[in-house]
Amino acid sequence: MHASPLTLFALGCAAIAAVLLIAYVVMRPELVGMTKVWLLVALGILPVTVALVGNVEGFEATKTRKFCGSCHVMGPHAADSDDPASQSLASRHARNTLFGSENCYSCHADYGMYGTVVTKLGGMRHVWLYVTEYRNTPIDVAKQTIHLVKPYPNENCMQCHSTQLDLWQKNKEHKASLDDVRNGRVSCASVGCHGLAHPFWKPAASASAAASPEGVKP
Amino acid sequence: MKVARYSLLLRVACVMAIVALALMAWSMLDPRPLPVLVAMSAGQALGTVSFLIFLAVVVSDLRRARAADDASTKRA
Repeated sequence: MHASPLTLFALGCAAIAAVLLIAYVVMRPELVGMTKVWLLVALGILPVTVALVGNVEGFEATKTRKFCGSCHVMGPHAADSDDPASQSLASRHARNTLFGSENCYSCHADYGMYGTVVTKLGGMRHVWLYVTEYRNTPIDVAKQTIHLVKPYPNENCMQCHSTQLDLWQKNKEHKASLDDVRNGRVSCASVGCHGLAHPFWKPAASASAAASPEGVKP
Repeated sequence: MKVARYSLLLRVACVMAIVALALMAWSMLDPRPLPVLVAMSAGQALGTVSFLIFLAVVVSDLRRARAADDASTKRA
């Protein structure tokens, strides 16, 4: 349960509104001025407050690894991130306190002014695909077929690893591939560089070829 | 007759708002994809419609009261 002070406040508002509404339905008072104020509070002010807080808490909840891992096909990815012994890129980033429990969102969120909106729309598509296509897909099948729609953009890595610092550029592999990394021709998360982000991860192109007609495309 | 209809509409609005509040509370207690999506779509739609019903009833009631006042003034 996600019980921040804001959540408790909203739940309190919801409880008070529910009591006022049930009282109205049971008592059926006449529609005088006081009744209108009563209903304004119970149908307007308190529910709007609950909705606003619910939106804030809902959007915050969608950033957490627990939320991403709650769809069973994402379970292995979330479990890998939780594994302190795993050396995958995802797990190593999850152990960084700056990412912590929001490491899925930190790495997969699009960058820029509309990044959050684009990411949320992408998440809606994930939910739609999950409900309509692969909610019953066995994990073993999902591991073979699940893949990214498009190659993972280096820009997402470069939100933190800017490629501008001397320390980064002193690495001879970095120096040699600087333009290719910045232009996205070489993926940071490739076998020859920093390794696969997830143990079951496949690059978009190769996974498309391997995927069955029912293959999932998160 | 009209007052009885107002009462019925307001009770319907109350029931819709209770369902909306329950959906929103569910999403906060159990923040998984389905509860969060249902709360942000169906929950908020129900809540909005219930509030609009309340506003419509209040506006209609005020207009009815005003019309009754005008009629009694003319008679006087």
